Amino acid sequence: MTIASGTVREAAIAAPPPAPAATSPARPRKRRQLTRNRWGYAYVAPFFLVFAAFSLYPFMYTAWVSLHETSLSNINGGTWVGLENYRDLLQSEFFWNAARNTLTIGILATVPQLCMALGLAHLLNYKLRGRTFFRTVMLMPYATSIAAATLVFSQLFGRDYGLINTALEAVGLQAIDWEAGTVSSQVAIAVIVTWRWTGYNALIYLAAMQSIPGELYEAAEIDGASKWKQFLHVTIPSLRPTILFTIVVSTIGAVQLFGEPLLFAGNGTTSGGASGQYQTLGLLMYQQGWSNFHIGQAATTAWAMFMIILVIVGVNAVIGRLRNRADR
Amino acid sequence: MATVSFQQASRIYPKAERPAVDALDLEIADGEFLVLVGPSGCGKSTSLRMLAGLEEVDTGSIVIGDRDVTDSPPKERDIAMVFQNYALYPHMTVEENMGFALKLAGIGKDERATRVREAAKILDLEPYLARRPKALSGGQRQRVAMGRAIVRNPQVFLMDEPLSNLDAKLRVQTRTQIAALQRRLGTTTVYVTHDQVEAMTMGDRVAVLKDGVLQQCDTPGELYDRPANVFVAGFIGSPAMNLVTGDAVDGGVQVGSAVLPVPRDQLTRAAASNGKVTVGFRPEAVRLAGPGEGLPVRVDVVEQLGSDAFLYTSLADAPDDVLHSADLVVRTEPRSGVTTGQQLWLSTDRGAVHVFDAQTQQRVD
Repeated sequence: MTIASGTVREAAIAAPPPAPAATSPARPRKRRQLTRNRWGYAYVAPFFLVFAAFSLYPFMYTAWVSLHETSLSNINGGTWVGLENYRDLLQSEFFWNAARNTLTIGILATVPQLCMALGLAHLLNYKLRGRTFFRTVMLMPYATSIAAATLVFSQLFGRDYGLINTALEAVGLQAIDWEAGTVSSQVAIAVIVTWRWTGYNALIYLAAMQSIPGELYEAAEIDGASKWKQFLHVTIPSLRPTILFTIVVSTIGAVQLFGEPLLFAGNGTTSGGASGQYQTLGLLMYQQGWSNFHIGQAATTAWAMFMIILVIVGVNAVIGRLRNRADR
Repeated sequence: MATVSFQQASRIYPKAERPAVDALDLEIADGEFLVLVGPSGCGKSTSLRMLAGLEEVDTGSIVIGDRDVTDSPPKERDIAMVFQNYALYPHMTVEENMGFALKLAGIGKDERATRVREAAKILDLEPYLARRPKALSGGQRQRVAMGRAIVRNPQVFLMDEPLSNLDAKLRVQTRTQIAALQRRLGTTTVYVTHDQVEAMTMGDRVAVLKDGVLQQCDTPGELYDRPANVFVAGFIGSPAMNLVTGDAVDGGVQVGSAVLPVPRDQLTRAAASNGKVTVGFRPEAVRLAGPGEGLPVRVDVVEQLGSDAFLYTSLADAPDDVLHSADLVVRTEPRSGVTTGQQLWLSTDRGAVHVFDAQTQQRVD
């Protein structure tokens, strides 16, 4: 901004008479262009109509509902309570428990997931025999339905006959009641999420890696960089925008985590464990709206989730912008 | 600083019909500026990359100084390379780019800064040390790539067409700068280019390659005056040497209806294999002769360059015969008054005719 205004000012000083003359006809031309591009709006309209009907309207409606005390059966009625739902939410220990769980599961899932994706992408970037096969296989967990995958995992993590406990016992360790413990249940859920999303992120990283010019690696090799240093000083910096993107996407996914914890107990009716040890914000919202029928409260939680995502994305954008400015 | 030698070095790509570099033998002296030149696909870049350690050596060996480096990785060879697209690290500043190799070598921060600053001074890069490559012009990037090589003070500089991304004017300017810089630093340099003008102006010696085979390695003057074969004769020089093939007859070579005089013993030896002889003469070795003397030609194009003019002509008495019509280029005075379509007679300077065996393509003296 400052640079742009600076040059405009300089230009104005250098040549005062033409500068105002140049700006005044520009404005009407811009307006004329807008009206001339009427058809452009017509062409983009279908998307925005669908967006308005299925995204914007429910979104605003949720905000409206969140300001009422109402139940699922009487969604249009209820009493106006203003921001009381929000106050209740912030004072509710369930909310903070769910927020904490969402955060820890999010970290447990996102960090190893992105690190493993980076490593896998690096390996798949080498000339391997049958790498198309490996690349396809990597995407398969992503193509699997959450329900099917989670049911299989809940069997694996089963307390009495689960494969993992059998394996633990086989090597002389104690069986773990995965679902009952706070840490164990969150780790188990993080494993499901990681399994499902690692391949997807690896493919995104792989695509970005393939656009790094090979000459950079050759230059680094001649400069005396080992393979690891090349990864550190060439690959990672070149992937920085991509890494930022995957962090944002994974974070949004983590905040909205719902299917995996819901189905983890195996019966699909849990609200996040007996003591809420793995109740995420998504599950809390579901419990409020569909078990306790407080749809107003549920809408409030939904909005709170949205705000959290907004803050995280905003912080990411600021970090990205600051780094870009530092680059310049 | 060191000598470099290729000893029967070959590179054979898997599934390739012929070697990309075929038994290359080349001795490069300490401090020498050697240019590898040839048309695209001749193996010049591959040779350089073999020396850099970026390409395997299938047979033969490569020696830098007195060390056989045939199987050493690049970092153990003590070389620095300037790439065609510069290959600057986009996320590092100019200073970091130039100091990266030193940093990896574990050289302290202060010494690194001093050495980077020294190189930046030589290359006029001091004001740009804090910038990133994307904020630099093409010429500046090229200089950073040079700087990255200089900072390391290596035994050998390798340059892979470092000027091909610059515009014509800057290229000529940078050409002389690089040559001067190399003389000043005295570092052995191997330079790859496809541009024979670059090769001739920069190199102490020039090695001409074709299809992976070394054709000739000599000083620019010798290459120009005594090309070893037809390919080198046609490749070096701009416009190219006129090359005509004809039957050996009494007193010379039959070209169209005329006979181009060639000394008897040269003619006999050149015609030994199949009775045909290739003769070559440079555009500046041709004189306009009186009507009826020498080769009759028709002027197709007149190219005015100001300092001189080039006439592009074809043999007058073989108008439509594609096989025998040869384009002959003649240099004349700039304002000779010759016009397109005019008929001229050409004679060649005695002693300026290069004679080649038409079968083996080799020079005959």
